[in-house]
Amino acid sequence: MATDAAVPAVSMRGVTKRFPGVVANDKVDFEAAPGEVHALLGENGAGKSTLSNILTGLYQPDEGRIELYGEPVAFASPREAIDAGVGMVHQHFRLVSRFTVAENLVLGDRRGAGRYFHIDPSAIATQVRELGARYSLPVDPRARIWQLSVGEQQRVEILKALYQEARILILDEPTAVLTPDEADTLFVTVRQMAEEGRTVIFISHKLHEVMAVSDRVTVLRAGKALATVRTADATPESLTELMVGREIETATRQGRAQPEGVPVLEVEDLWADGDRGTVAVRGVTLTVHAGEIAAIAGVAGNGQRELAEAIAGLRPSTKGMVRVNGRPVHTGDAQAAFEAGIGYVPEDRLGTGLSPTLPIAMNLSLKSYRHESVGPFLRLHLMRHKAEDEIRIFEIKCAGPDQETDELSGGNLQKVVIAREFSAHPSVLIAASPTRGLDVAAVEQVHSYLMQAAEEGAAVLLISEDLDEILALNDRVLVMYEGTLTAVEDRESVSEIGLRMAGGTPG
Amino acid sequence: MRVTFERRLSQPWWLSVVVPVGAVILAFVIAGILFLATGIDPLSTYRELFNAAFFQTGSLSQTLITATPLAFTGLAAAAAFRMKLYNIGAEGQMYMGAIFGSAAGLYLGSHVSSSAFAIAGMIVAGIAGGAAWALISGVLKAFFSTSEILTSLLLNYVAGLILTYLIFESESYWRQTKGFNATVFPTGKQLPKVAQWPTWTINLQGGIVVPFGAIVAVIVAVILWLLYSRTRFGFGAQVLGDSERAARYSGVRVRRKILAVMGLSGAIAGIGGASQVGDFAHALDGDPNGLQKLGYGYTGIVVAALARYNPFATLLVAFLLGGLQNAGNTLQGPNFPAGLVGVLQGIILFCALGCELLVRYRVRIHRKAAAKGTAAPAPAPKAAS
Amino acid sequence: MNNSLLVVILASGVAYGTPLLYAALGELLAERSGVLNLGVEGMMLGGAVMGFWTVQRVHANTGVALTAAIVVAALMGAALASIHAFLVITLRASQIVSGLALTIFAGAVGLSSYLGNDLNLADSPAAHTFNAVFPKSMQNWPIVGPIIFGQNVLVYVSWLCVVLVSLYLSRTRPGLNVRAVGESPAAADTMGISVTRYRYAHTLVGGAFAGVAGATITLAITPQWVNGITGGAGWIAIALVIFAFWRPELCLVGAYFFGSLQALAPQLQARNIHLGPTVLWTNALPYVMTIVVLVIVSSGTAKSRLGAPEALGVAYVREER
Repeated sequence: MATDAAVPAVSMRGVTKRFPGVVANDKVDFEAAPGEVHALLGENGAGKSTLSNILTGLYQPDEGRIELYGEPVAFASPREAIDAGVGMVHQHFRLVSRFTVAENLVLGDRRGAGRYFHIDPSAIATQVRELGARYSLPVDPRARIWQLSVGEQQRVEILKALYQEARILILDEPTAVLTPDEADTLFVTVRQMAEEGRTVIFISHKLHEVMAVSDRVTVLRAGKALATVRTADATPESLTELMVGREIETATRQGRAQPEGVPVLEVEDLWADGDRGTVAVRGVTLTVHAGEIAAIAGVAGNGQRELAEAIAGLRPSTKGMVRVNGRPVHTGDAQAAFEAGIGYVPEDRLGTGLSPTLPIAMNLSLKSYRHESVGPFLRLHLMRHKAEDEIRIFEIKCAGPDQETDELSGGNLQKVVIAREFSAHPSVLIAASPTRGLDVAAVEQVHSYLMQAAEEGAAVLLISEDLDEILALNDRVLVMYEGTLTAVEDRESVSEIGLRMAGGTPG
Repeated sequence: MRVTFERRLSQPWWLSVVVPVGAVILAFVIAGILFLATGIDPLSTYRELFNAAFFQTGSLSQTLITATPLAFTGLAAAAAFRMKLYNIGAEGQMYMGAIFGSAAGLYLGSHVSSSAFAIAGMIVAGIAGGAAWALISGVLKAFFSTSEILTSLLLNYVAGLILTYLIFESESYWRQTKGFNATVFPTGKQLPKVAQWPTWTINLQGGIVVPFGAIVAVIVAVILWLLYSRTRFGFGAQVLGDSERAARYSGVRVRRKILAVMGLSGAIAGIGGASQVGDFAHALDGDPNGLQKLGYGYTGIVVAALARYNPFATLLVAFLLGGLQNAGNTLQGPNFPAGLVGVLQGIILFCALGCELLVRYRVRIHRKAAAKGTAAPAPAPKAAS
Repeated sequence: MNNSLLVVILASGVAYGTPLLYAALGELLAERSGVLNLGVEGMMLGGAVMGFWTVQRVHANTGVALTAAIVVAALMGAALASIHAFLVITLRASQIVSGLALTIFAGAVGLSSYLGNDLNLADSPAAHTFNAVFPKSMQNWPIVGPIIFGQNVLVYVSWLCVVLVSLYLSRTRPGLNVRAVGESPAAADTMGISVTRYRYAHTLVGGAFAGVAGATITLAITPQWVNGITGGAGWIAIALVIFAFWRPELCLVGAYFFGSLQALAPQLQARNIHLGPTVLWTNALPYVMTIVVLVIVSSGTAKSRLGAPEALGVAYVREER
C-alpha cells in the first residue's frame, strides 16, 4: 500500500542522458516510495528503458542526481546497483541459456556463498524452490534455461532479483511475453512484493496494465517526464493525452464487410522443425483470402516464427504444402517464395530483414535485384531511382539512398522493410510483430499500410504477440499454441483468445 | 577520467583512406621506437629501406618481383575476407597453382609453338589448381560447417609437403633429372622458352622491368571490382558478407556462394603460383627454403586487410609491401636480421586493426562525469573526428 | 615389448602431445571467455625462442635455469597475447585478423626468427634440457614404464594443469563467471561481472600456456633452436580445442592422439615400414587427420548443443544504442 512516506525509496532529479544524435532523458525527475507500485508510462522511444538502465548502473547519466532512501548514489557499474538493492527484470532476458536456473541465480553473487571459491549446487536449489513457492514463481532449479518456456524464463529473471534481495525492483514491459492469465498472476506477485515494503517500478506502454496494477504513474514523452499522477485519479484518456499529446486514431477493422475474396494463400497440413531439431509447426492448415487480414495470436515460442518462415521459404517443411493462387510453392526456397508473390516482414528487422551495414538503396532491392539487372550486370541507375522514389513515397527519414541502413531509427527501419515488401505488390503479405518497439506514430503508419495492402487485394497474415493489435486489425483471429493453430470463434472475445493462448479450449 | 567510444552518425568517405595511411605512419613510429630500444637508428634504417625498395637503380624492378605474387595473394584474400570467408590457404593454393601451371608449361611448351597459347594454358592450369585446393575447404565449410580457417591453414602445410616431395623426394615429371646440376641439388625442370612469360621494360630509372604477371594482376583486380560492385553475384556476396540471415532471407543460395567465393579466391592465388613459375623461377621451386619460406600467402592477408579489401587499394598496398619485403631481402645481413620485415608487417597490421575503430567510432574523453550530485560540465569531446 | 612399435609410439605420443596439450589448454581458457586467439603458433614460437635463450644465458644449475626458462617463456607468451587482447577487447578489432597478425608478427617470418638470429641461438644445442624424472628401473617396467614413467616433469605438470583447469571451470565461482562471460556477456555484465577483466585475464593466461608449450619443444623434445620449429603445432592446438568440445579432459586425449601421429613418421622410417608414397604420406598424416576429425566434429555439433561458447569471437559492447 503506498503511503506518503517521508523518505522516497528512489529519487532521481534532473537526470539527463545523451546518445549521439538524441537526448534520451532530458532533466527527468522521478520519485518512488517504499511499498509502492509505480508505473513508468510512455510510448516506445520515450526514454523509459534508458532511465531504468541508469538506475541499475548500466548507463551513467550525463547530468543529475540520484538518491536511494535519502542517500546519494552514483553507480559506476551494475554490480554496485545490485549491492545497493536494485534489481531489474529486463525485456530481453539477461540469462545464460546453457546454464541451469540455479547457476544463473548465483552468477556474480558476492554474498555468503560467494565468499567461498567453490559452488555448492544443492544449497542453491533449496533456496530457489523456497522463493518460487513463496512468490508463485515455480521453476525447477536444475532445468537449463533453453529448456524453459518464455514465461518460465521470466520467472527466473524475477527470482534472480529476489534472490539478490532487491528492495527496488524494476520490471521492463513484463507482460509482452505472457498470456493474459499469466499477466494476472504476475500482477498478484507484484502486489505481494509491494506489500512487503519493496518498491516496484513497472515500465509499460500499455494503459490498461498500468491502470490495473500501479499506485502512481509517471508519464514520459520524448525524453521528458511530463507528470506524475495517482492512478486512482487518472483516466485512460488523460494518460493517453500525456503520453502522446494528441488523440490516437486506433485503426480498426470494424465495419468492414466480410471479404468474399478468392483463397490466395493455402497452407495444408504443414509441419516444420525448429532450430533445435524438435517439431515446431504441427500440421497447420490455413487459408487466407484476397483482401483479408488473418491474425495469429500467441505467446512467443509457440511456433509462429517457424510457421512464418516455412511459408516464406526460409525454413524447409517436413510435410505438407503451401499454395499461392493455386500454384504450389517449393518450401525452403526463399527465392521461389518471392517469385510466387509472398512478401515477408520479419520480426527481427535488423538481423534478418535488412542487411545492416549496406546502403538503404541496396536493402530496398534486397530481393528484387535479380530482376533489376541486364544479364549478370546490375542496373544501378534503375535501382537508385527506385530507391529515391520509395524513400519519398514512404517518407523514410534518412540522409539519402546511400546511407548505411543501421543508422536509421527503429520506425524508419521498418519503413524500409515495408517499402520493399509493398513495392513488390505481393499476393501474400506476412507481417510478424511489425510494430514491436515502434513509437505511436510509426505504429499508426504500419497499421495503415497493412490495411492498405488488404484493400489492394493482398492476403495478409498478421502474427503478433500484442493482443491490442490483433483485436484492432483482424478479420479473423487464430491462435498458435505449441505448434498447433486453432481458429477463434468469437473474434472479439479477449477471454477466449487468452484461454486458447494458454492451451485451453472453451468448455 | 573515462574514455568511451561513440558510434559516428555519418562516415565521411575520406576516413577510409586517412585511417589506414595514418595507421601505417603510426606503425613506422612504433617500430622506430623499438629500433631505438635495440640500438638501431630508425631514421637511417628507414632511409635505407626506402632506397632499396624504390629509389635505387633497379629497385623498382626488384620490387615488382615481390609485389606481383603479393598482388595475387592479396586479391585472393580480399575476395574471400570481404565475404567473411577467412581463406588463409592462399599460400597452399599458390603452391598448387605453381604445380599445375608448371606442368602445363612444361607440356605445352614442348608441344606447341605459340607462346600465347602456352601462357594461357598455364594461367588456366593455375586457376584450376588453386581453385581445386581452395574448394576442399569450401566444400567442407558449405556442407559440413567446418571452419575454413583451420582447414585452409592445415592444407597449406600439406601443399608444402607435396611441393617438396615433387622435387626433392621423387622422380616426378617436374623434376630435372638430366644434367650435372641435377645430381648435385634437386631442381625443377626448366620451362621451354615458349612458355616463359614475357616482360616489358619502361625506360625510366635505368629500365624498369614489368613482368607479365603484374599486368595480369591488374586485370584480375578490375574483374574482381566489377564482379563485386556491378553484378548480381557481387550483390548477393555483399549481403552474405554483411549478414548471413539477411542473405538467406533475400534468397541467396548460401552454399553455392561459399563454393563460388572460395573457388574464386583459390583461383586468384593459383594464378599467382603460375606467375611464380612463368614470370620468375621458370621452373617449379620445391626447395623448402625457397618459395615456401617467403610467406607470400600470409603477407597477402596483411595486404588485403590494410587495403580494407578494396581491389585497387590491394594493388597499391601490394606494391608498397612488396617494396618493403624486397628491401628486407636486399639488405639482409647483420644489421637487418631476417624476420625484421615480418615484425614490421605485423606492427603495420596491428596498427591498421587498432585504427579501424576510428572509422566507425569517435573517441570521447569524459572529465569527472556527473557523480555525487553536481551537474557535470558538458563532456569535452577530445574526438578524433 | 617396450620396443614394440605401439609402445614407442604411445610414449613418444605423450611427449610430442605435451606442447599441444599446453597450448590447447591455454586457448581453451581464452575461448571460454569468448576470445578467439589464432596467434597460438606465434606465441608458441615466442615462448620457444625466449625460453631457449634463457637457458643458454642463465648461468646456474639445471633446475634454476630450466625454471627461469619456463617463467620467461610464459611471460613472453602472455606479452604477445596482450597485444591481441588490447586490440580485440578494448579496440574491438576483428579477432580473426588480429590473431593472424599476431602469428605473422611473432612467427617464423617475424619476431621469433628475428630474435633467433639476433641472439645467435641456432648454433648450439640447449645447455640444459628436461629429462626423465623417474629412475631407469621404473622406466623399464613393461608398457607403463616408457609411456608413463619415462616422461619429463613438464609432462607431469601438464596432467596437473588438466585437473586444475577442469576443476576451475566446473567447480569454482570464477570458473562459473568466465563461462557466463563466454556464453552471454550481457548477462554476466548485468550481474556485475567485469567482462573486460575476465577476457584480458584469460587471454593472457592462454598466452602464457602457449609460451610454455613452445618452450617444451625447444627444451624437452628437440633441444635446439630452429626457425619455425613448431611446424604448425599451434594450429593443431586450436583445432584440438574444438575436438575436445572445449573440455580439458578431452584435450588430453586429443593431444596424445595427435602427438602419436607426429611420432609415427620418424618411427616408421626408422623401422623401414612404408605407408604409401614414402614420407609424404606419414608427414602429412597429422594435418590430414586433423581435418578429418574437424569435419566429423563440425557436422555433428551443428545439430547438438555441445558447441562453442556462444559469444566466442564477438566483441562485447555495453552501451550500444
